[in-house]
This record gives sequence, structure tokens and C-alpha cells, in this order.
Amino acid sequence: MMSRTNIIALIFLIIMGLYPLFADSAWLAIGTTFLVFSVVAFSQDIILGRAGAFHMGHAAFFGMGAYTTAILNVNFGWTILATWAPAVLIPVIVSFIVISPIIHLRGDYLLVATIGINIIFLQILENDLFGLTGGPNGIFGIDVLKVFGYEFFEQTHMYYMSFILLGITLFIMKNLDSSKFGRAMFYVNKDDVAAQSMGINIRYYKMYAFAIGAGIAGAAGSMFAVQYSAVSPEAFDVLQSIMFFTIVLVGGSASLPGVIIGTFVMFVLPEIFREFETARYLIFGLAMIIMMILRPRGIWPVKFGNIPSFLKKGKK
Amino acid sequence: MDIFLQQIVNGLTIGSLYALVALGYTMVYGVMKLINFAHGDLVALSAFAGLTIYTSIFSNGGTSIVAVITVFLFTAMIIAVVGVLLERFAYKPLRTAPRLSAVVSALGAGLVIQNAIMLIWGPNMKIFPSDLFPSTVYDINGVVITFTQFMILGLSSILMIALYLFINKTKMGTAVRAVAINQDAAQLMGINVNKIIMIIFIIGSALGAVAGLFIGIYYRGITFDMGWMYGLNAFVAAIIGGIGNIPGAMFGGLVLGLFNALISGYISSAWAETFTFTLLIVVLIFRPTGILGETVAEKV
Repeated sequence: MMSRTNIIALIFLIIMGLYPLFADSAWLAIGTTFLVFSVVAFSQDIILGRAGAFHMGHAAFFGMGAYTTAILNVNFGWTILATWAPAVLIPVIVSFIVISPIIHLRGDYLLVATIGINIIFLQILENDLFGLTGGPNGIFGIDVLKVFGYEFFEQTHMYYMSFILLGITLFIMKNLDSSKFGRAMFYVNKDDVAAQSMGINIRYYKMYAFAIGAGIAGAAGSMFAVQYSAVSPEAFDVLQSIMFFTIVLVGGSASLPGVIIGTFVMFVLPEIFREFETARYLIFGLAMIIMMILRPRGIWPVKFGNIPSFLKKGKK
Repeated sequence: MDIFLQQIVNGLTIGSLYALVALGYTMVYGVMKLINFAHGDLVALSAFAGLTIYTSIFSNGGTSIVAVITVFLFTAMIIAVVGVLLERFAYKPLRTAPRLSAVVSALGAGLVIQNAIMLIWGPNMKIFPSDLFPSTVYDINGVVITFTQFMILGLSSILMIALYLFINKTKMGTAVRAVAINQDAAQLMGINVNKIIMIIFIIGSALGAVAGLFIGIYYRGITFDMGWMYGLNAFVAAIIGGIGNIPGAMFGGLVLGLFNALISGYISSAWAETFTFTLLIVVLIFRPTGILGETVAEKV
């Protein structure tokens, strides 16, 4: 028997699977980016929604994946397929190195420190440290994916590759929820002192969340670089991080449908209202305020975790 | 040696501006535990509002003490009103909501103010008139200090001392501190928490307005999106000093200003932000609540 959520998820996947049949090329590109951004938003949600770490520098990990693919492909001539593993591993390693000294910081302090990490990353890109990142212009001419001589160069190919990546991410998210790790993170998020006294190593689990989040974001970044066949620093600045952060909170943190809706609201809606050009972001900002006032826990807030219903008596 | 002293003077000037803005962040954070992301954009708004007031009232130009005082007072009042409205509409409904919802609301409010500036004054850089302050330059043993720098240092010191006395020596200041420690208990003791929060926003926004005007006068060029970077730097200053702590914000502002000036003077301004945030992260690793921040753990 299928639950209501599963039916909605299935309908969503069918619609997204058939979408390229109806969309023109501009909208197909937006659709592809929507899928990639959803993946990044999910990885942000692992850190922010599930582990409860206020993280506002996620575009840095997204960018690391994109730049890894771009640099290895353009400067060193690797095939796109070969860059996938490093595009995931490098953000994981970097997240481990830069986050582990600051993981103990409380809420807002961590938030500002992660903004700092994003800004440092951006300055490294713009100032062209090591002469690899191409400075403010970025890197052009990234190859298309080639497997056994077959080239995936069409928009539709990119779309379905992103679609598969989203599917893998959803599968990981679903499994995370029901794993020991997922339950521990949920506990840490609800009450970290109680979790700690039950023997949960908060530091370890938060680092784990950052590592998984950075890895998934790196994979999405690699996809993003191939889709646009170019990378440039401004795609990974703090405003982008703020967007991912806001997506999770507007949609509903730790909620799978919430994050998808959040991505739609924060990324696709502004694209639809492109005609309003100048006043667009004014209205957008107002909408953010009103949305938070009306639905402070997000548009589709998560139900009470994985706690069995007989334990929930009298609790909201 | 002259370069060093010159950079110290420049650093203290920028540092006092950071400190003025940082006070707005730290006071709101101390009372509401909210990062007021819109504060930087209020500072930018103040520069634009001041420009319009100055050009429309004193279009004939010429420096007069009356013009300066009028511009500062009017701008500070307007920005204080905007700050109070901001609190009333964007933050007050979210006081009992999860903390991050208010952060998103603050980000939205910042976006609204920033784009309102762009719609009203246009997307291009505006140039602040240079005749608001006399262009006198003092030369003290090879160290150059302009009248504007002198005014910035002087006025911001006066404002900071006044704020310190207000918070620590007056009855109202005691109420502000009480609300910062425990809102519920303060309310039970007969303190009107809403009024205190309003006062916090009036003072914070007015100080930000003064800083915004000085930024306009000192740097001349103002853009609609400049609030973000000044706000972020000031916020970093507040955190380095220990957020929620008023002397901490002043101290953090001056430290960050000096640090920035020395980095720009001796290393490179292209890496300014990298050094700023490296300093922040290093401070936080060793002092997780800032240099002057309290060391007690947050209540659970």
C-alpha cells in the first residue's frame, strides 16, 4: 500500500520525467538547473535541516565540485566521467579540513564562519590562486560527457542526467532518514544536550553531515559545470549560499517535498516573473517575509520525524 | 613608520564606522537573538537619504554647521523610523517562531530595502557632495588627517561614550540590559518589552544612519548594494568583539578597521575579505563567543 506522500512523490517524478517532451530549450535549461539546485538544496538540508548546523556557505562546496570538473577537464584533459569521483571527493576532504576546527561553534557563530569560508573560496577563485581558476572570468569550454564513444551533448541528455542525480539523492535522503545516522542527526537537531547524554557523538555526526552534504553538492556542481560548459565565480557567491539556505527554510527543513517546493519557489518562480524585471526582487523579498510570517516552519513542514505514533501522545 | 601611522589613522576611521554599524547588530542580537541582516541595507539607505536631503534643502552648496546638523538629524530620524517599521512588520510577528524563520525574514527585508533604493535612486553609483565638510587637511609630522576623518573619529567616540553611559547609568538602560538577559522575567518586573525593543531599533538604526552618512562623505561614491559588504564587515566586527556586548562591538570595530587598513597597506587589498574572515575564524576557534563575549554556555 502506498502512502499519500509516496503517491505525490510518484506523480512528481512522472511529471519531471515527462517535462522535456513539453518544454522548449530555454525552459529545459531552467528545468535542468532546477533539478541540480534541488540536489544542492537537499545536501544543504542534510546539514541545516537534519544536523541543525547553521550553514550559510554551501555554494562553496557546490563551486568546488564545479571547478574540480572544469579544471581537470580543461587544464588537464581528463574526461568528464573521470572527474566525477574527484568532484565529489575534493569537497568532502575540504569540508573535513575547514569545518572540523569550527564545528563546535554555536548557531549564529557557525553561520558567520561558514559565510566566511564561502567568501574566502570566492576570493581564491577571483584572484586566481595557483593560476588554475581563470580569475573573475572563470573557465570556458568544458567538454560534454562521453561514454564509450557516445556523446551526451543535447539539452535533454543533460536534463535526464540531472534527473538521475536527483533520483540518487532522493534515494540517499530516504535511506538517511531510516538509518542510525539519520535518527542520531534528528535527535541532535531536536536537543543536542539530551542526545549527547545518550552517548551520541555530536561532533562526529555533524562532521558526517557536512561531509555527505559537501559530497552531494560537489556532484551537483560537476553537473552544473557540464550543463553550462563554463564556470565563473559569481555563480558560487554568498548570495547563492543564502538562496540554498532560504530554500530549505522556506520549503520546510528536513522535509523532502518541502525542499523541492522551496527550490521551485526560490528559483523557478523568479524566472517565471522575469518580465517584472526591476521590481522583481523587491516583491521577492516581501514574499520571503510574508511567507515566514504565515508559515514559520516552511511551506510543507516535516511531520514529527520517525518516532512511532504511540509515543507521540500529547505532543505536537 | 609614517606609512604605519597613516594606516593606523585610516584604520581607526574605518574602524569607528564599523563600530557604529556593529552596535546596531549587537544590540538587536543581545535583545532578540536575531542577526538583523537588513541592518547593512539601512546603512546604505541612510547614505542615499542623506544625499537627497542635502541636495534638496541646501542646493546652493556651501558648508554651514546648520546644514550638517540638519542633514544628520533628519537622516537619523528617517532611518530610525524605517528601523522601527522593519521591526514591527518583519520581526515582531516572528518572535515566537523558530529562530531561523526570523533570519529568512531579515534576509527578505534586506532584499526589499536594497531594491527599494535601486528603484528610487537608480542602479548607478551616486556621488556624495564634497562640500558638506570643509576639505581642510591637517599634517601632523607627516601623518595626514582630513577634517572628515577628524569628525568621524570625534563624533563616533562621543556617540559611543553616550551609548555606554545610557546603557549602564540610566534607568532605561538598565531595562534594556534586563530584557537582554531574560525577556520574561523583565516583563514580570513591569518592563515594557515591546517599548525596549523599539528603543533598541531606534538607537541601532540612528547609529547606523550616522555611519551611512559618514561612509557617503568619506568614500563619496555610494551604490545601492553597498550595505551588504559594510554590514557583513560590521557584523564580523561585532562577533570578534563578542556579540551582544556593547563595548565588544566598539572594540571589535576598531580591531577590524586597524587590521583591514594594515592588510591593505602592507599586503594586498584584493585579499582583504580573506584576511578578515580568517581573523574571524581564528578568533572563534580560540574564543568561541568572541574576545569580550561571555563564556557561559547557551541555555538548553
